[in-house]
Amino acid sequence: MSSPSPVSGDARDDQTGRFVRQPNGRVRPLSPHLQIWRWHITMTASILFRVTIGAATVGAAMLVGWLAVLASGPDAHAALAACAASPLGLLVGIGLTWVLFSFLLNGGRHLINDTGAGLTVPSANLLSHIAVWGPFVLTAIFWIVLFASGKVSL
Amino acid sequence: MSAPARFKNRVKVSERHGAGEWAIEKVALLILMPLAVWVASTALTLTGVGHAGVLAWFANGLNATLAAITAVVFFGFASLAWKVIVEDYIHRPGNKALLLGLINIVCLVLAAASVFFIVRLATGSVPLPAGV
Repeated sequence: MSSPSPVSGDARDDQTGRFVRQPNGRVRPLSPHLQIWRWHITMTASILFRVTIGAATVGAAMLVGWLAVLASGPDAHAALAACAASPLGLLVGIGLTWVLFSFLLNGGRHLINDTGAGLTVPSANLLSHIAVWGPFVLTAIFWIVLFASGKVSL
Repeated sequence: MSAPARFKNRVKVSERHGAGEWAIEKVALLILMPLAVWVASTALTLTGVGHAGVLAWFANGLNATLAAITAVVFFGFASLAWKVIVEDYIHRPGNKALLLGLINIVCLVLAAASVFFIVRLATGSVPLPAGV
């Protein structure tokens, strides 16, 4: 039996140069990753901002599609409005408003942190909690206003 | 060969680029913050007003201008933000350059299309496809 290779998994395909030979002879990453760190709200906020930017790009592309439909006349717009008023359309709309508010609150958090402010543990936690939970609150308020004003109905 | 080292406050200044992109990304994000609030309020305004209502909204020059600024700044920001994400995870030079090129093309096309449609809506052009 041959001894197992000290180089395994990601290390065999190392594109980063992060992998080093540890004192026990095994090749392991220099820094731990998500499965090693104890989970923290700041990680959630950071990851959600990346997800939000991806989703916001898709949402913006959909808005460009909306502009194209608007520029194609009333008939095309009526067809799109019917789709948007369907349950699936409402679900997409609710998702897009969550993305918008997540972009706003996470962007604000990031800009504050970029100035060097809000980086003590309590303030970083507070800003992250606002960025993670705020979008749910604002999205709920947004749609309650829409339904209450009668602009949207099921 | 690298250029002679430069120092600022006795700290070596980077020989590479990147600080400029970072600053542009932050300025774009800062501009997008009030615009995001405006987009949210616009969504409340325009929901359920119909085609004619939306066209009347775009006929207002301020609305159309802000919409075009939002589109251009957002897609500029998006291209830089995607660049950061790609550079974090894709390390083979060929793949990275290809992805970054594609991202830039997609963002440029979407920004140009936004401005094109917004101008048509703001000026009350005939519905597309025009002249067919």
